[in-house]
Amino acid sequence: MAAESPSSVRKVVVHLRATGDAPILKQAKFKIAGSDKFAKVIDFLRRQLHRDTLFVYVNSAFSPNPDELVSDLYTNFGFDGKLVVNYACSMAWG
Amino acid sequence: MGTEGQKYVWEGAIPLQIHLDESEITTLPAPPPALILGPRIGYLPLLLSLIKPYFSSTLPPGTDTVWFDYKGLPLKWYIPIGVLFDILCLEPERPWNLTVHFRTYPADLLSPCESEDTVKWNFINSLKEAAYIINGNCKNVMNMSQPDQLELWRSFMNGHMEGNLRISSKLKLGTVGEESATKKATAHHQQSSSETKPDRIPVRLYVRSIEEDVHDLEDAPPVDSWDKISYINRPVEIHMDDGKIFTLRDAIKTLLPELFEDEPSIDEEMSRIELQDGEKALETDLCDQDLENASTARSRELTDTLDECTPSSCCSSEKAEVKLVRIQGIEPKLDIPFTWVVKNLSNPEHFLHICVCVLVAQGQDKMR
Repeated sequence: MAAESPSSVRKVVVHLRATGDAPILKQAKFKIAGSDKFAKVIDFLRRQLHRDTLFVYVNSAFSPNPDELVSDLYTNFGFDGKLVVNYACSMAWG
Repeated sequence: MGTEGQKYVWEGAIPLQIHLDESEITTLPAPPPALILGPRIGYLPLLLSLIKPYFSSTLPPGTDTVWFDYKGLPLKWYIPIGVLFDILCLEPERPWNLTVHFRTYPADLLSPCESEDTVKWNFINSLKEAAYIINGNCKNVMNMSQPDQLELWRSFMNGHMEGNLRISSKLKLGTVGEESATKKATAHHQQSSSETKPDRIPVRLYVRSIEEDVHDLEDAPPVDSWDKISYINRPVEIHMDDGKIFTLRDAIKTLLPELFEDEPSIDEEMSRIELQDGEKALETDLCDQDLENASTARSRELTDTLDECTPSSCCSSEKAEVKLVRIQGIEPKLDIPFTWVVKNLSNPEHFLHICVCVLVAQGQDKMR
């Protein structure tokens, strides 16, 4: 397909929130390309927190598939102009 | 409980002929392939207990990390078997020849799958995601009792539709498919299911782009990389304008507007506006922060982003064309009501998986 889907090109503001005893990041808001996969957010968190095991959720609710596009997640579950991503070092929401 | 279509979906299976990867064969003669049925709604790693006995005596020493490939393409384990078959085998191959590996997991290409628990976790999270799309939250799934969750999983694993629907009807996901069943089964419930009737259907869409020099879809070259398949998650809202039936074609149109008409959907306009608002906040860019050195501070890209925001000529209807829409192995007429499709052909985690094949003008990039 020739055309880039317009919603995927744009950047998405991701708000990272620690849950449980997970360390809090100095900077909580980041911009990421909508065409990136959620895996990129997970990798970023893993490296920032130096942890291999991390549980990453959207809206304190569910863990999206790492292959899902950030733009899809933003369109489906974002509000107030951002996508809220929670992270925890142990399983927080089943 | 369960529509006729749902029964077929639950009973649907792909005949698999599974070969052990040559590098893992340590005995002579080589073990014969394993012939088993892979449930359409099932996941490949769940077949491990059936496959392992065929090959356990010949494997080299080491720990098992099972994965599969089709013509060299490592298969994503979290995609239902039926969907893998539908999107990768345009000309259905029966039996479907797959290669199983018990060693050297391609961690750079596939997300890790350690055990059945990983698959279960993925299933429950997909269910939560679907619930979130339908109801705006997933409290019912999160508040599910431990025994119910176990029963939901066990009935799924064993292909027991009735048991599975009994539990999932408690989740009040009231998808079109469950509505009538719920009404009948729980007539004593106060809540009328028509009140909770959702208009948002969770859809996972797989778009395979094929270059135009292929005359027959069957002649399409095998998929050698997942980059050739766009994985799109967008809910479909069922609109009932003037009593006009919302068809499968309408649904595909809202999912892939760029393939049909020029006008962007309202949803897209909305998200565009919201996003522009978001960008005013001017946060640091994740990629820059992360991939480049933060100190090189090439982190503000406002001009770039604004450029991208201008509504571009996103239409490509002359360049790309939908050639195939396949759901649960069938190619439904595009005129059939979308509610029928949802009711009959959704998967147990409440997502409707749609495979779409698109012919693209040569030299064009794949979508997204």
